Amino acid sequence: MSRRLLTGNGAAAWGARLSDADYVPAFPITPQTEIIETIGGWIGRGEWDARMVTLESEHSMVAAAGAAAATGVRVFTATSSQGLLHAMEMVYTVAGWRAPFVMVNVSRGVSAPITLGSDHTDVMAARDSGFLQIHCSTCQEVVDSVLLAYRVGEDARVRLPVLVNLDGFHLSFTREPVEVPDIEAARGFLPAFDPGELRFLASKPVSQAVAVLGGGPYSYFRYETHLAAQNAVAVYDEAASDFEARFGRSHPAVEAYRSEDADVVFYMIGSFATKAKDAVDRLRDAGQAVGLVRPRLLRPYPVESIRALLAGKRGVAVIDQNLSLGKGGVLHAELASALYGCPDAPRTLASFVGGLGGREIAAEEFYEMARVTREAAESGRTPEPRLLYTEDELRELRKLQGIAVAERHDTGAE
Amino acid sequence: MKTASRILGSAFFREGFEVQDAPRYGAERRGAPIFAYVRAAREPIHERGVITRPDLVVVADDSLVSVAAAGVLVGASARTVMLICSNDDAAVWRERLGLDGPVFTLACEPAPDDEVRFLGAASAGAASRFTGVIGRESLEHAIREELQDLRPEAVERNVGEGLTAFDEMEAHAGCLSEGTIRSAEAYEDPNWVELPFEGVEISAPDIHGAATSVQVRTGLWRTMRPVIDYDRCNRCSWICTTFCPDSAIHADADRTPRIDYDNCKGCLVCVAVCPPHAIAAVPEQVAVAADSEEAST
Amino acid sequence: MSERASETAFRRMKDLPSTHLLGAGTATCAGCGGLQAIHEIYDVLGEKTIFVNAAGCMTLLSIYPFTPFRGSWLYTAMACAPAGAQGVRDALDILKDKGRIPAEEDLRVVVLTGDGAAYGMGLSSTSAAIDRDLDFLYICYDNEGYGNTGQQSSAGTPHAARTSTHRGALGYPGFKKDLFSIWAANRPAYVATVTGAEPVDLARKVEKAAAMRGPRLLIALSPCPTGWSYEPKDSVEIGRLAVETGVWPLKEYVDGRVVHTRRPRKRVPVEEYLRLQGRFAHLFEPERNDALLDEIQARVDAYWEAAD
Repeated sequence: MSRRLLTGNGAAAWGARLSDADYVPAFPITPQTEIIETIGGWIGRGEWDARMVTLESEHSMVAAAGAAAATGVRVFTATSSQGLLHAMEMVYTVAGWRAPFVMVNVSRGVSAPITLGSDHTDVMAARDSGFLQIHCSTCQEVVDSVLLAYRVGEDARVRLPVLVNLDGFHLSFTREPVEVPDIEAARGFLPAFDPGELRFLASKPVSQAVAVLGGGPYSYFRYETHLAAQNAVAVYDEAASDFEARFGRSHPAVEAYRSEDADVVFYMIGSFATKAKDAVDRLRDAGQAVGLVRPRLLRPYPVESIRALLAGKRGVAVIDQNLSLGKGGVLHAELASALYGCPDAPRTLASFVGGLGGREIAAEEFYEMARVTREAAESGRTPEPRLLYTEDELRELRKLQGIAVAERHDTGAE
Repeated sequence: MKTASRILGSAFFREGFEVQDAPRYGAERRGAPIFAYVRAAREPIHERGVITRPDLVVVADDSLVSVAAAGVLVGASARTVMLICSNDDAAVWRERLGLDGPVFTLACEPAPDDEVRFLGAASAGAASRFTGVIGRESLEHAIREELQDLRPEAVERNVGEGLTAFDEMEAHAGCLSEGTIRSAEAYEDPNWVELPFEGVEISAPDIHGAATSVQVRTGLWRTMRPVIDYDRCNRCSWICTTFCPDSAIHADADRTPRIDYDNCKGCLVCVAVCPPHAIAAVPEQVAVAADSEEAST
Repeated sequence: MSERASETAFRRMKDLPSTHLLGAGTATCAGCGGLQAIHEIYDVLGEKTIFVNAAGCMTLLSIYPFTPFRGSWLYTAMACAPAGAQGVRDALDILKDKGRIPAEEDLRVVVLTGDGAAYGMGLSSTSAAIDRDLDFLYICYDNEGYGNTGQQSSAGTPHAARTSTHRGALGYPGFKKDLFSIWAANRPAYVATVTGAEPVDLARKVEKAAAMRGPRLLIALSPCPTGWSYEPKDSVEIGRLAVETGVWPLKEYVDGRVVHTRRPRKRVPVEEYLRLQGRFAHLFEPERNDALLDEIQARVDAYWEAAD
């Protein structure tokens, strides 16, 4: 094992290499490009015996990835934002094929307006597809999660593709010290892919992904895929335990940070959760019992762990770096559905939407979210959902608007 | 039958009824059996989907009635009225099917000047009369409305067929009875099960087998049957077998072609391409009758 | 290449197989010209084949639990069957190269799409597969419209044909895309036009394509009783007339050259072909549209003048 400085993208590439992936269908998109360029370099220099193919779109990329996995090889691919959206038809389709492979998504806000900044709205669009989802908060987690993802997705009890999510820029382009496992140790953790009966061989004809007629067969196949995804909660726990035993790093399905005795808890995913940890420490310094609960596994949704970790809390500040237009934060809605009817569920779930399109979340904002949530829990009145947006930001926006609108008027006057 | 269902639906609607009519689409294509449904009520209809307990069953292709897989009799009970377009009479069908309920037939023979009888309009006409609530004018109006894209002569013929059938069934006006609503007090348990997780070898939408499609009896689609006159067949062995779109003709080792009637859809491409004209097209009912005669002698 | 190509197993009609690989009992319409071409092609390719299918009429060849194939099948989606073929081909090559499967477990990879996918939504992924020199065979069953959804106009629809989206007196105002030339412009190993009504020509071309490597593409004109509105029994007659009138030139692109494999000596007037099909009935009734008929004939004549 060696400790070195790696970007999140570099860590993702290492995850693929240590997993002995056979095949990498690729299409470039900012901020994912470094992943496929790194892999292309390794393959080109003969450092890694894999095959890379560059497709003409993410839709085709996911089709090739799923088809290769359905033929019986280990596949790695990566995308981001508009690319994930462009691929979405095939994202849903290949999950239904029960073709296991790993796709890294480097989270970035979706169009319109088009932007390069990071948020999680892109990956939320894949939420109901049948892909499992693992969300990372550090570059270390990225390399480890790719290995875990293959182990879980290829398990006979699961057989599903997995998305490993990392935040654009905040992780993708940020170097951090990362322990890179030895290839032999990685192979010990992750055996070769056994496709079982689901593969294409001349001696064993199979028609895969055929049409069905009627709701009976359709319901069966869809629900079996759902049951397989749910199996992944237990399979993930097993894999994470084994991983910890081998590598000494713990990656539970739901991370809890100083939450045991907390009365108010931040609930969020992704890299800004490390900022939340800092905020927790400062709030503790100020005498407040605040903690953090962070699901790494979002699909399957580890309902039991989440309920147990939040039982008896007074208030939860749910921080969504995504926006379901016309509804609000997705994590908030999901958490509410998981906790509804639980006798010891937190009294207050406060909804905060922040960090959209690469916007920062400042320490003071974490402190303020904790205050609002605590007061709401005391008063019993759940606050309206809050967009994290400051007076300064609005003032700056007004300046831009002044230019944009003035130009339009000037042109019209001529 | 889709046309018949739309005519019936429009006629009910014109009489002031609330109506649902719908074809049931499947994978089946041209030539495949098709099902269509009509519901009518004085009150708004909240029921949806397939009719599971019909008051009236109309069958355009009588070769389907006796075939369990076609599902013609599913849900029918003693009070269900059957209308079968057939040249066999009602008594024959009652006996053949062991039915206690009312059975009527409409002869398939066309009027002297016509090539074919327009069974859609005719069966809608008969069905309208059975309801007892659809008038002659509403039926005529509905036929004209639904067939307005046809040529004027064809519309007139259809109107004629529909009204003739309506008049033929005068004695049976109002023979339909309305089904009862399913009670919420004493109902049949839907018997839900817990779906178990199953391994991907069986729980993925995959077929681990070869040419299982031959089990699908597409022979049911056929209304005309190609019959080989082996005295005229010159054993070329490749023309009918190659051109049959469905691979439903194979040649024996001695080059004698054999038609797989379980799967032949009756497209009659073989009839059209056979150089010595050794394949004849025989109406399916005639062929079935000939078969049963042969079997009994 | 030309030496080997002449060594065909299909010199005349009696050389065609009289037993067939493709199972009966599929859901295609009675008289389907597309299925006719596919079963003729399958007989030549053999069962060590995987069909990678795009959304279209043939999606419903395999409906759980029934498949007509003796080999394998993968249904993808409308736009990306060639990309699915890329994944399968690459995976099989990886498995062979790494010694995980013996060579005899390999499969021939065949893309199967209609004209809706081939001429439109799937053209980008096809073009890219040719760029990448993918070793695959592409079969387009071209019934000149989105047949599976009721024959709406596609980029394969011929000028003036009436479709379910173009019901007016002039039919479809656009022109059938020259997919053969578009494909050939990418310089793949092989491109050919075929039709099920000319089975010997078809068998020779499939035989030739099967012996090559790289991108090989076939467009099969597929008379469609449902979408073209004619009696199912006439499928072969209409396919033959498409060739004899010159509407559907039988040709191939190989080694950078286009060769016509059939040159009708005296072309039958196009009218004979159009008249049999309900989709062109508005050219004859209620009155003859001579202008449009002449235009269609002129286009066919111009094609052959350029070809000769």
